[in-house]
Amino acid sequence: MQITLKIFRYNPEVDSTFHYETYTLEGEETDRVLDLLEKVKGYNDGTLSFRRSCAHGVCGSDALRINGRNYLACKVLVRDIGTNITVEPILGMKIIKDLIVDMEPFFENYKKVLPWFINDSPLPADGKERLQSPEQRAIFDEGTKCILCACCTTSCPSFWASDDYLGPAALVTAHRFIFDSRDEAASERMEIVSETSGLARCHTAFNCTLACPREIPITKLIGELKIATITGKIE
Amino acid sequence: MATKSKSLPLTKRGLNFEMLMWIFTRLSALAMYALILFAIIGALVMGARNQMNLADVLRWGFMPNNTHVLSTDVPDLAPWATPFWRFVASALVLVATAHGVHGLVVIADDYIVSPRGRSIVRFISIVFMLAMIGIGVYVIWTA
Repeated sequence: MQITLKIFRYNPEVDSTFHYETYTLEGEETDRVLDLLEKVKGYNDGTLSFRRSCAHGVCGSDALRINGRNYLACKVLVRDIGTNITVEPILGMKIIKDLIVDMEPFFENYKKVLPWFINDSPLPADGKERLQSPEQRAIFDEGTKCILCACCTTSCPSFWASDDYLGPAALVTAHRFIFDSRDEAASERMEIVSETSGLARCHTAFNCTLACPREIPITKLIGELKIATITGKIE
Repeated sequence: MATKSKSLPLTKRGLNFEMLMWIFTRLSALAMYALILFAIIGALVMGARNQMNLADVLRWGFMPNNTHVLSTDVPDLAPWATPFWRFVASALVLVATAHGVHGLVVIADDYIVSPRGRSIVRFISIVFMLAMIGIGVYVIWTA
């Protein structure tokens, strides 16, 4: 079948502003958008730039705005979105070249919530693992699926307005550690996520939940953080 | 098994001004529903069933100010102009204005990132809110 691929192009060394280029390709309905981009780069225009790594929905490198919605290019098939496809970089980030954006503000926000395990207590008597029950694990299980692709954060209107806002991905990570029974820095993280650019900036638009390629119920997890600031309950 | 206290103490759960205002916005929305419903029921009890059309009842319900009854068929304004109803109307002005102005501040915060800019917007918003509440309450108690 014939597929029309309209791609956002911008080369800062040559272009004063962005433009779109349209390519007509032969493809299958089972082709992924990433396959089409590879085809354009391989056969039409080798200067086309985009990020990719594992190409199997695990590394989170190829988050793109496809037909106006954030997807991983390696997970979305032609049959899911039709044969007229527009590919753009994810919104709210500075564009480096073509479909590649500067992810630094995203990772800066991610770092703010202390995204690592904090427990300074001595190890259990057997000197081995800090055990937790399946129920304790289930509370934060969804948040552990995050692959930091930024599909959620760059679909969030509050983040578009200001990258000062922590964003859904950072809040999901905060949730993952705050609700972990083995972690001991919940109060520090709650302070961080409650600041002006934190939880209160989430206006429950639900874009993040719709965009997440890992199907994490992000808005629900942010809601649990909001409730925790009121009740203090983190179990 | 790892142990962890089930809840964070009040001072350690990030319950700062931002989150208090977030809670206030939710509660004030509920309070507005309650006050509007209360005013509509009050109007029906005071005879609005025979002397007002639906639009008049809603106008009273959304702002239970006795001047809103003047243009209707209600012959006696006295029950509608008691201190009790003036108090209900004042409460609605207070809650609705604070809710609305805080909503504007939240939206402004989405676009104004500098702390100084945010402070200026907040100051203007608070002055505006106090002025609107002052004018509203003045009208309710002097009309």
